[in-house]
Amino acid sequence: MFKAVWEDEGGRRSQEFVLRRDPPASLVESERTLEYTFYRAFQDSPVPVPRMRWLETDPAHLGAPFFVMDRIGGCEASWRTLIDPSFAESRARIARRMYEVLGQIHLFDWTRSEIPGVIDPPDPAECWKRELDYWEGMIDANELSPQPIARAAIRWLRSNPPPPPKRVTVVHGDYRTGNFLYDSEDIRGVVDWEMAHLGDPLEDLAWSFMEAWEWARDGKKGGIIDREEAIQVYEQTVGEPVDRDALHWWEVFSGVKGQGIWLTGAKSFQDGRTPELMMPFTAYWLTNFQDEIILRTLGRGA
Amino acid sequence: MKPDVPLVLNGIAATLATHVLPELRTPFGQQNVGIASQLCAMIAQEFDRAAARLVEENRALISLFERAIPVLDDGPLREQLQQAIATPPGSDLRISALQAENDRLRALLITLHAQVEEIDTPEGSALNERIWDELRESTRRRKLTSGLA
Repeated sequence: MFKAVWEDEGGRRSQEFVLRRDPPASLVESERTLEYTFYRAFQDSPVPVPRMRWLETDPAHLGAPFFVMDRIGGCEASWRTLIDPSFAESRARIARRMYEVLGQIHLFDWTRSEIPGVIDPPDPAECWKRELDYWEGMIDANELSPQPIARAAIRWLRSNPPPPPKRVTVVHGDYRTGNFLYDSEDIRGVVDWEMAHLGDPLEDLAWSFMEAWEWARDGKKGGIIDREEAIQVYEQTVGEPVDRDALHWWEVFSGVKGQGIWLTGAKSFQDGRTPELMMPFTAYWLTNFQDEIILRTLGRGA
Repeated sequence: MKPDVPLVLNGIAATLATHVLPELRTPFGQQNVGIASQLCAMIAQEFDRAAARLVEENRALISLFERAIPVLDDGPLREQLQQAIATPPGSDLRISALQAENDRLRALLITLHAQVEEIDTPEGSALNERIWDELRESTRRRKLTSGLA
């Protein structure tokens, strides 16, 4: 984050911005042009996002591609505040808004945006396979040790594919508490679009339900809402019922994807591509927990 | 005599959390020191149990392979399992050596599980359940008792 001060014909001006630069390594392999395009697509839509200002793909300036966006001030981002007792009065409102906004992401007509210019739309029947192939490939490339639980889940996923979605939508890719800016009244900005793509909208719903995000450890999804209430709000927004069996497939998939993310971070630290302690931290903290989640989602938990 | 390694690591974790972190003024610094503190606490647990966990799991996998052999038809996998059973545990007790052995055995477990899922007999189903038991047990062995999750 930085504050810029400049002068023009209108006089002295200042504004706070956020700069996001391609890291040398992170929990996910991402690309700034793609993320920038998704942010821009949702500007002036019912989905609140920070306004994009500049994209620079030439690494000569800051050592890596980067973009600059407006900072949305006066907001919280942390899930800790959301589950804090002091936020109790606003929590239910924000929780419902979370799933209304998710519905709006999935209702968005991406065909009339710049998104098809940066990503190939999948055939509806191929949505699940494209994502599973990708995340299995990430596990292949990054596992430091064999992963028998994730591999068993991948075999189950390939043997029990979900039906194609009625329509291919934008998928945020990391939609959960912690990845939107909010105040006591509303969600003010959906952020972290680095895993955004086109695909099956149930992928986002399932990801938001993952046990790893049950921050309060009380069974509430994202630490803030009951699963069925979230589905009900989402269904009302998109105007269609959620296929529970298909949702379950995507929940098992989410377990595999989560493991792919933690393994990618662990490998980047092991290889010396990043000194960030977050990478070994998530490896120690979450990889075994992720295996437990996969087992429970498959009905094989303790 | 030196203080035990887990004791030292937990001491570092406590010092970072209670003495260093409150002195820091930037969110970036606070976050990094907080992570370092929690990482030390987790590694303290892992340090003490790692060898025992790996030896226990490697033995359990060999035992599982012994039960699997009569259920499998002749073929490369059966030979691999027989070879794994016949190979005596290495004398090298360093964590890296035990982990390398564990990696070999768990890779073989993946191949075995995929094959067993295709066996449509009561014996195959029973073995499949035994493999799931082992997978559940593997998460119990790795669980951090004072971790965040």
